[in-house]
Amino acid sequence: MIEWLLEPLSEPIVARSLAELALLGLVSGTLGCWIVLAGRSYSAESLAHSMLPGLVGAALLGLPLVLGGAIGLAVGASLIALVGRIKVLSSEIAVSVVITSLFGAGVLLGLAPATPAGLGGILFGDLLAVGFGEIALAAGYAAIVLAILFVLHQGLLATGFDRLNAKALGRSPAQLDLVLALLLAGATLVAVQALGNLLVVAMLIGPAASARLLTQRIGPMMMVAVAIAWVASLAGLYASYHAELAAGAAVTCALVVAFAAALLIRSLRELLASDTRRRSRGAQSRGLRLRSRRA
Amino acid sequence: MQDRALSCEPLVRSNRLAARYPGASVPAISSITFAVEAGQRVALLGPNGGGKSTLFRVITGELAPSSGELELGVGHSALVPQSERSRLDYPVSALDVALMGSVSRLPWWRRPSRADRALASESLRRVGLEDEANTTFGELSGGQRQRVLVARALVQDSPLLLLDEPFAGIDAPSAELLAALFDQLAAEGRGLLMATHDIEQARSWDLVLCCNRVQIAFGDPAQVLTREVIERTYGSSLVPLPGDESLAITPPHHHHHFEADR
Amino acid sequence: MFDPFALPFFQRGIVEILMLASVSGLLGVWIVLRGLAFYAHAVGTAAVPGLVLADGLGFSAIFGAFGAALVMAALIALLLRRRSVGGDSATALVLAGALALGVILASDVFGSQGSVDRLLFGSLLAIGTPELILAAVAALAAAVATAIFGPRWLAAGFTDRSGSSDSLLIALIALAAVAALAAVGALLATAILVVPAATTRLIIKRLPLWQLTTAALAAAEGAIGMTLAYQLNVPPGAAIAVLAGIVFALVAIAVLIHQRRPRLAPLALTLLGLSALAVAGCGSDDGGEASSSKITVAATTTQVGDLVREVGGDAVTVKQILTPNSEAHDYEPRPNDVGAVAASKIVFASGLGLDAWSTKLVKESGSEAEVVDLSSGLPVSYATGEGEVHADEKEGEAHADEKEGEAHADEKEAHGHGETDPHWWHDLTNLEAATTEVETALIAADPAAKDQITANADAYRATIKKVDKQIRACLNKVPANERLIVTDHDAFIYFTERYGVTSKGAAFPSTSTQGQASAGEVAALEKLIREAKVNAIFPESSLNPALAERIASDTGASSDYTLYGDTLGAADSPEGTVLGAEAANAKAMVAGMTGGKERCRIEP
Repeated sequence: MIEWLLEPLSEPIVARSLAELALLGLVSGTLGCWIVLAGRSYSAESLAHSMLPGLVGAALLGLPLVLGGAIGLAVGASLIALVGRIKVLSSEIAVSVVITSLFGAGVLLGLAPATPAGLGGILFGDLLAVGFGEIALAAGYAAIVLAILFVLHQGLLATGFDRLNAKALGRSPAQLDLVLALLLAGATLVAVQALGNLLVVAMLIGPAASARLLTQRIGPMMMVAVAIAWVASLAGLYASYHAELAAGAAVTCALVVAFAAALLIRSLRELLASDTRRRSRGAQSRGLRLRSRRA
Repeated sequence: MQDRALSCEPLVRSNRLAARYPGASVPAISSITFAVEAGQRVALLGPNGGGKSTLFRVITGELAPSSGELELGVGHSALVPQSERSRLDYPVSALDVALMGSVSRLPWWRRPSRADRALASESLRRVGLEDEANTTFGELSGGQRQRVLVARALVQDSPLLLLDEPFAGIDAPSAELLAALFDQLAAEGRGLLMATHDIEQARSWDLVLCCNRVQIAFGDPAQVLTREVIERTYGSSLVPLPGDESLAITPPHHHHHFEADR
Repeated sequence: MFDPFALPFFQRGIVEILMLASVSGLLGVWIVLRGLAFYAHAVGTAAVPGLVLADGLGFSAIFGAFGAALVMAALIALLLRRRSVGGDSATALVLAGALALGVILASDVFGSQGSVDRLLFGSLLAIGTPELILAAVAALAAAVATAIFGPRWLAAGFTDRSGSSDSLLIALIALAAVAALAAVGALLATAILVVPAATTRLIIKRLPLWQLTTAALAAAEGAIGMTLAYQLNVPPGAAIAVLAGIVFALVAIAVLIHQRRPRLAPLALTLLGLSALAVAGCGSDDGGEASSSKITVAATTTQVGDLVREVGGDAVTVKQILTPNSEAHDYEPRPNDVGAVAASKIVFASGLGLDAWSTKLVKESGSEAEVVDLSSGLPVSYATGEGEVHADEKEGEAHADEKEGEAHADEKEAHGHGETDPHWWHDLTNLEAATTEVETALIAADPAAKDQITANADAYRATIKKVDKQIRACLNKVPANERLIVTDHDAFIYFTERYGVTSKGAAFPSTSTQGQASAGEVAALEKLIREAKVNAIFPESSLNPALAERIASDTGASSDYTLYGDTLGAADSPEGTVLGAEAANAKAMVAGMTGGKERCRIEP
């Protein structure tokens, strides 16, 4: 049993993957909570596709690919923020319009005969191919994200709770949105080449959405999210090692299973607490009834 | 914070103020001329869509005036929104929400200090919720949530409080507590501007501002709140209740334009 | 240039896009109004596991996609009823789960080929009857459901999202997404389903009018996009997506100007009209190609294209569909390709599932061409995975061998289409046989050019023999027990078997980009490389070399030498021909196996 647990960790390929996932788990557990609370999962899922025109453009102009990807992400994130300001459209429509157009433009650009093969492959990064460069980058980015989120915590909390009142509190929701969007774009740039878009999405959304079901405060939510990210990473890598499953997909499945488990725990807890809840609901329902008469 | 001078310098004063939303052809409010001084309680009467929230947005700076003048006194104004609009799924306690008020006084890189926490606890005590400080906001009753939002405005410690229908749909104990608290805050020298549909309550306040896209009247409720002014304010949706001198308002339904769905 | 509207494949594409436009008008408004854009995007993208299953078990891809979409829809509908879960988080996680399942099925169960990926990229140029029926069903269902449930959907938009009429809306969007998937591909389905409704939303506020305008806009964008795509020779899906994005941007800017400066509105409208004209105008600069008396034939892959050019010489015009930089997985036919196929007398295919789309392309293009499958009469063939079974015979740590053995047993049993490895041209005797087949087919099509074709074929066969000998001589410089290679993908069995090279394994289990390696397999492979003292691991030219490089740096092997497995090098490079690529492969292997000490010259 002990050997079964230790053997995978002695393989450099597993140890490196685990280190990368642990560091990105710190990012996804904290940043992911704000993304889930702000309802920005669509951005998190789709933003990586805005890299495509940037990558093709950089390849055609002979610039470093990373620069192209970063420009693509920055353009995508800013356009989403810009279109999102149109009052009659929700922010997810903005994501849809911007990403569809940029991805289409990337496909058209990619038809140029000078485009090298395999550019789109960057979106399918491989967890097992992670090296020390990627790990150092993830560590650096994790430090930046944790520092920024620590400093901006109270403003993000107040704005997320009550956008309409944010101006009265002296905070600009648009600015904080942009900060979150840029942090997300940075996470995409750092993580997609290492993990592939699929695993990045699962890491950003899965732990935070699960933690939201299990906790009632933002602090514990972040800690539980990081813990879930770590446990699922470990479980996924064990499955990939012992059952020989595709590595990134195994970790993704572990994260989705964690979410299902959190959903189950939440439902059971609600069932058990239904008695006490009914009592506390009594007071609330009076308010509700009054409100429903008005609406 | 209590020793703010009871000066006659108004906390907010406007002259023929108008404001228009981007893309709208007509202004949402116009010809608004009023002032709130320290220690005054001003009721803001008007139908839904009559511009009450718009006026609040102009005062908080969310919407720029399109014409006219708006003078704001020292310090920010603090807005107490309708509690039914707040997010119940948000992972915060009553104390966390109250503490959010400290954000307005802090530069963006500072986190709340111990003193801010103490002030938040004290504010919760003033709204009678010291026992619920650690309860999740979404699990409180409607009235309790409204009181937490008032506590947040107290932590904000602004001379001017903007109250958006604070009594709408809350339980009787909360309503009594809030009414007493508002009187107390005015006595401390704060100015209060409260949007409401309750004409009787408006009568008991110091001043009343009637507004239905344009200003109808502003002044002492005893003189201003005539049947004619109320009818002009609320249009025809005014119903005399049988066996009662007072007038009841049936607010029109919320507008179900597509715009409402954001 | 002839009128594209006269071409049958173009007409079918237009009919398809018009039907999808009506779906867009009917459902797009609800997607925008009810905040279901993410779901509409996800439900099409989540079709992957269905496509992999359909490919592996051999049933229709459309059923696979629709089945997966329905399961996704049911899960989302269930999760949306829970208030504690944000709708967007639920959508993201169900999507991630579906995609991960697809990856595991592709890499660990079926060992899928790249053909799976192609199904994710539909094309308006290859619309068949099943696609038309699907779109018609989607349009009809959307119309009936809107008539019955429209008022309820509108009312529900302002309260919450639960109830049975909403589940119906969710199922309908799933149907629409699968129909759009077949037409423009998973990632661009939103260009039809969401963007037109979002554009008209900026100016129209009343519901029936909004639906009508959306349908009209989607139809206009679809028809103009297809025409532009035809004129510019680009994939219609991408053209429609970019056009829709530009129209949205122009309308948004016009609305903004109107809001800020109402007096400038007429100017804004004029600008809008002018830019629309400019967009339409910039497409009309492409001319058709002059036709000559030579016969025209089409070739699907880069290798087949080279072979047919060698044999046909000046006597035939060869239209090659795949280019060296077009990855097999995101190949979407371009109008010229379809036109080329339609105008060809013969279509030469590589076969064995590598270019399975070619049959469909020939059929939907309305072409009369004869399809010649070059894989049908090959002298040498191997089952997929056979090469590595040999590797297991060599000594090595029992544990690692066990793993390898297991993995391949699975692969063999469950492998989807044809157990035969499709990379037959890496054995030059196969190339020789294929040369003869091309020769026969070309002479039958153009008896007048017989002499020329025979001369070309004879010359080419002689060159093949010469290169084959040189490659053998080259590899013989390395002692037989040191001729060990590890590759990215398992694509070289024909080469290794012919020249006595031992393949110790491959990093990736599947040639689909959906495929991922497992930690267990890579760890076992690394052990094997260390123990067998493999000097080099060879990345493939068309694939991301990251994993190969990582394994190399872990084991001290080299990853500096690239092989040409699935595709040839750039057209004007020495590796741009089959023989050039094979020579390059031999040189790379020898250099890699000997640590760069041994080099050889091969001259065709």
